[in-house]
Amino acid sequence: MDETIYIWSAILGVTAATFIARSSVLLLGERLRLPQTVESALRYAPACALAAIVANDLLFTAGALDLSFHNPRWLAGGVAIIIFAATRSTIGVIAGGMAAFWLLRAWFSG
Amino acid sequence: MREMLPFGPGVFAWGLVTGVAMVKSGLSIVESLGLSLLAYAGSAQLAALPLMAVFAPLWLVTLAAIIVNLRFVVYAALLRSHLGHLPANTRLWLGYFTGDVMFARFSALLAEEPDYPHRVAYFAGGATANWIIWQVSSVIGIFAAGVIPTSWGLELAGTFALLALLIPLCRQWPALGGVAVAVIVAVIAHELPLRLGLLAATLAGMTAAIALERRLRSTAT
Repeated sequence: MDETIYIWSAILGVTAATFIARSSVLLLGERLRLPQTVESALRYAPACALAAIVANDLLFTAGALDLSFHNPRWLAGGVAIIIFAATRSTIGVIAGGMAAFWLLRAWFSG
Repeated sequence: MREMLPFGPGVFAWGLVTGVAMVKSGLSIVESLGLSLLAYAGSAQLAALPLMAVFAPLWLVTLAAIIVNLRFVVYAALLRSHLGHLPANTRLWLGYFTGDVMFARFSALLAEEPDYPHRVAYFAGGATANWIIWQVSSVIGIFAAGVIPTSWGLELAGTFALLALLIPLCRQWPALGGVAVAVIVAVIAHELPLRLGLLAATLAGMTAAIALERRLRSTAT
């Protein structure tokens, strides 16, 4: 298959995947009835999904679990949580977390 | 839309990184733009890249992207009860525009105010802002791919934005317990391909949270 055609077909495939995953359940709408337990469990979906994403990003270095004090990622995450508790500022968390990450990394490697 | 602004830097950095990654994996500028503007998928885009680079079968690329997006099925199941009354066409597009950040903000709002009257406008506005920030940053990333080194670790800015969303959701014990279980499962299942560990962690966390909620309620009464 021609390379350009392949890549554009793949792009359309990923686009279709976005629609299928995000809209299909929404389109079923009220026709789909879920048990009460499932409905109430869904309220915890955002927190759990976010926690899993963040844990993957912060607790691993180069694909391996790293909870040592030489991993700047989770240490910076700790700093970010403290910043949030103190300031309630989202921008503070992002800026402070990144600053902590860069400082710690420079410190560990220097 | 204003509600989305604090998350701008995080979404921006994450879009930038995705833009850079697409060009670095060998896509042309036009192809990268196409993937970003059409698929609007972040992690699914990144998962598709290595498969596209080796010309994996198209069904595999599509399937991989669906699997990476599976957490959105869970999100949509929750949104359904709030947006389910809208016309099918509107629902199709609102679903497409659901991002992690937008979804977390929306569910936090509805937890405080379940009958918030302007919730559809809120969702649409936030989703639009998210889309614009994402696309602008992706385009900048695509064109700046040669200048921005990956060693900056810019993708972490997106992680911190999600962390800022996560903390306020943990105020009740069941949520905190669910989060703890989700983190543990995410670490154990880290090796699973296609971010399936993420889905496993979300489902395990939800199960733990609901079990804890029941336990707390039965001891309270």
